[in-house]
Amino acid sequence: MNIVALFKIVPDDTLIKISGNSIDLNVPYKISTYDKNAIEEAIRIKEKYGGKAYGITAGIVDRKTIREALAMGLDEVISIDMKEMDVMTTAEAIVEEVNQIKPDLIVAGESTTDSSGSVLPSYLAAMLNYPIITYAKSIAIEGDKVRVEKNLSTLSEIVETQMPVVISVVGEINTPRIPTVKQILESSKKPVKSLSFNKTPNVKVISVSPYVIQRKKIIIEGKMDEAVDKLLSYLRGDGIL
Amino acid sequence: MMVVIYSEDPEIIKVGTSYFPNEHTIGITTKEVKYTDELYVIDKIDEEFISNFIASLKPDVVIVGNSKRDKTVAGYVAGLLKVPIIPEVIDIEGNKAKRVVYSGMGIAEIEFSYPAVVIIERKEVQVNEKNTKINKVEVKEERVKLVEEKSKGEQGVNLSTAEIIVSVGRGIGSKDNVKYAEELANALGAALGGSRPVTAELGWLPEDRQIGLSGNKVKPKLYIALGISGQPQHLAGIKDAKIIVAVNKDKNAPIVENADYTIVGDAIEFCKVMTEKVKNK
Repeated sequence: MNIVALFKIVPDDTLIKISGNSIDLNVPYKISTYDKNAIEEAIRIKEKYGGKAYGITAGIVDRKTIREALAMGLDEVISIDMKEMDVMTTAEAIVEEVNQIKPDLIVAGESTTDSSGSVLPSYLAAMLNYPIITYAKSIAIEGDKVRVEKNLSTLSEIVETQMPVVISVVGEINTPRIPTVKQILESSKKPVKSLSFNKTPNVKVISVSPYVIQRKKIIIEGKMDEAVDKLLSYLRGDGIL
Repeated sequence: MMVVIYSEDPEIIKVGTSYFPNEHTIGITTKEVKYTDELYVIDKIDEEFISNFIASLKPDVVIVGNSKRDKTVAGYVAGLLKVPIIPEVIDIEGNKAKRVVYSGMGIAEIEFSYPAVVIIERKEVQVNEKNTKINKVEVKEERVKLVEEKSKGEQGVNLSTAEIIVSVGRGIGSKDNVKYAEELANALGAALGGSRPVTAELGWLPEDRQIGLSGNKVKPKLYIALGISGQPQHLAGIKDAKIIVAVNKDKNAPIVENADYTIVGDAIEFCKVMTEKVKNK
């Protein structure tokens, strides 16, 4: 079985800081949070059913981060350097590589921490004419069928479809493994296919500024009983309660 | 221009039309609402079927809501039409839009051209009703078959649509103390959520109650943060709350700068007093 895990290299969201009017993105790179779960799931499926697990990453192609994905257990990574990208051009770049691998399963994270759109997996599935299953919290394979438990907001669903299929996974599907030193050393011998894809996206970012909402910043001190009364009267005044 | 607006949430049809008051609009949703020129009422949701249906209308613009299922349709229909897609849009004006990036920490101003698929959020808008032509659509299951549906019951709180949220942080002290916050939430008819340390690390609340950058982004009219210091990653998830109340012992905690009202004091004592007063009102 051929499995593809999609992952994106992003500025570490836990280190991004806002100062005044600017947003500091000059922070170390990492594999986007849920994409690590996608890599882990691809490796687990490969370990259970055999085959080959590929990784495809597009955008920032940081070598150190790619090696981490290989150290986790991917057999090969296809790294697509893209200077400018949007969902459409990313899907176009990935589809060409997927068509060469002809995978049974494509696994992606539910969303990335930079653009957080959650739409690339279904965009890609439509381009490939594969079915799409999103927000998977477990994946079971039987023959050419997959059975997936989906985590929606107020309910969960169990669905089934035939492979090939694109599946996006949520964080609770697994706990991504931490590679051993040996695996990190061995990862340097694994193949990385580097290419670039240049197409000007139709969606152009003009500016990025911090998302700040001005608050009232009223501090209420004193005895709790009186403080709560004060709070309640403020909230009534705002039409909240 | 032909504008197709799809969401499982009928409110989104209203918000969508408000961005395109002078265009021909077609709505697709689960209830009869009269904001568009035409409306297709669907009886169930199959993401692939609905995407094919929208694509067959050959729209110039597709506006979709931002629930999990809506976003799946948005991506699929954009892929079928091979057009650009813009997620997390909070405002559209002509061919410019504002969207949220870096999980809520930044706002990007973007320029695009039609045709495109745009994902929008719920917001308050005034739209007049129209003489809508209503059609019914029988949705058929395509390649993904539904085997079973399980309600999450009490556990399945939909934080993204909750009007009031009581949220606990490490400052609540212990797992046992969470019950005080729960009592307050019950008294207020609120949903209970928590910060990342409390949900993902300490397990005081289930992980899907996590509020913040890597959990739920919420927009209640009232958000009460109990013993939450206010890391940027948490603040990113509560930006759209109308009013934020913080209860914290530390007057210098970052949450104070980002709250409308801060009570300086103990979160448990606050819960007890507030619960009593809300119950007796």
